[in-house]
Amino acid sequence: MELHTDERLSATTSSCPSSQTDGASVSHLLPKDVQQQIARHPCYSKQAHQYARMHLPVAPACNIQCNYCNRKYDCSNESRPGVVSHLVDPHGALKQFRAIKKRAPNLTVVGIAGPGDALANPKATFSALKLIRDEDPSAQLCISTNGLMLADYADALAAHGVNHLTITINTIRPEIAAQIYPWIYYDHQRLRGLEAAERLIRNQLAGLEAAAKLGMLVKVNTVLIPGINDADIAELSAAVKARGALLHNIMPLISAAEHGTYFGVTGQRGPTEAELASAREASGQFMPQMTHCQQCRADAVGTLGGGCGTEADNASKADNSFKVAVATNGEPLIKTHFGHAQQFEIYRLDPQAGEFQFLERRQVAQYCNGESACPDEEADKQAMFKAIEDCRMVLCSRIGIAPWRTLEQMGITPNVDHAFAPIDVALAAIANSQLAATTHSQKESSDEVCHY
Amino acid sequence: MKYAITDKCVGCHACLLVCPSNAVFADPDNPKQFMIHPRRCTGCEGQHAAPQCASICPVEEAIVNEYAIAVNPLGSLTGIEVREHVNTSID
Repeated sequence: MELHTDERLSATTSSCPSSQTDGASVSHLLPKDVQQQIARHPCYSKQAHQYARMHLPVAPACNIQCNYCNRKYDCSNESRPGVVSHLVDPHGALKQFRAIKKRAPNLTVVGIAGPGDALANPKATFSALKLIRDEDPSAQLCISTNGLMLADYADALAAHGVNHLTITINTIRPEIAAQIYPWIYYDHQRLRGLEAAERLIRNQLAGLEAAAKLGMLVKVNTVLIPGINDADIAELSAAVKARGALLHNIMPLISAAEHGTYFGVTGQRGPTEAELASAREASGQFMPQMTHCQQCRADAVGTLGGGCGTEADNASKADNSFKVAVATNGEPLIKTHFGHAQQFEIYRLDPQAGEFQFLERRQVAQYCNGESACPDEEADKQAMFKAIEDCRMVLCSRIGIAPWRTLEQMGITPNVDHAFAPIDVALAAIANSQLAATTHSQKESSDEVCHY
Repeated sequence: MKYAITDKCVGCHACLLVCPSNAVFADPDNPKQFMIHPRRCTGCEGQHAAPQCASICPVEEAIVNEYAIAVNPLGSLTGIEVREHVNTSID
């Protein structure tokens, strides 16, 4: 399975030169039109946090096995790459896109990132891309792939208007690749060992070169696995740069034992912060680096804002932000009982715009049956509260008295006043009353200052 | 019947997409598991050197042959000899 990610640049665009830390700046390396495309893409640019992105989980199948992946992916209490709570067909994806777009005009980027490999599911992938493009020609389309079939499909991707592409390439040395990929499925057979490794690398590099020649903005993701691929990062980076890759995102291995991956079960550890920094430095000699990778789910929706947190402006924004959680299982009306919510849509009030902007959708543990790995009922409840702890209000159709009290103790106001109203109408009403209250209190405080 | 899918299947769709005979379909009672149509399955004879479903399936013991023997036995894909899980479930 492809390990797909969202991430932001540490080497930023020219609007924020002071935060360049890796010695390479996108603005120095790229033509202006490319910079502009990147600046509006939240998976590429830290500056694009106001733009929302949506991953369409239309590509379930995968054609390779990675030792950091487990195909038993559909457990709703897990949040890690390759995990998705439900698949949709391309028409279902279009419906979801329309629903989200209506409430989130800042949705500009639509990608396919699994939960398998986009190009192992060409029919669903291309069908979804076409439907979205026909619906909204301004949407930026992107896919994430392991690269095995990329050379075959590069032309088709370009023809469908895909201009952003992520390829996960972990090494260009077959003997290392053989320790990461136990097998691949190619040309109607399962290849193993070095034979698989050589074929995969050859296809990845050929695909990268083809895509770059077609003008696609290619980012390379690399999972850093200490003791396996960490010594050859510079070599990898130079090789992908030479074939036209634009940006390098080195991500830490996730190998918790409970995920049941090969690396998890065999005790392979992830890299330390220092190891990660050193790998990024090695790669930074050749290519701009990305950091703050969120390693998102294949059905992630929303902006990446608030997660970065190292800069003062972000911190102050977070303090003042008024976030509202809406219990909804996908419907446009507020008709979900708090206790039955499988997901919450999170909106943040933008005081300048005077309205709520869609931020993200958060899954909560609800119908998980895996006794060995999943929480019991009490833990389920805790997970629900935890999922919305940063919000100030939660909208739902009904709620029991016990969770009501718990929420109040957490400083979250349960609100059932808008039960069965459309979400956008309810949010507009709340935005109005909230902004009126803020203006009033500001007026009061300035009056106080005057009087004083 | 040449090949069949067991309850180890996690419903990843991989076999569905590569079956040359359209013999794979979602279990109507459990859409997260797939089944092989016994009459449609040809075992890929005359089409491919190896059965395509078994060649791409990432889950050990999920596909069995006509003698009910796993085509990808425990340890053959991951290299991990996994204990039999009592609580194994497909969420």
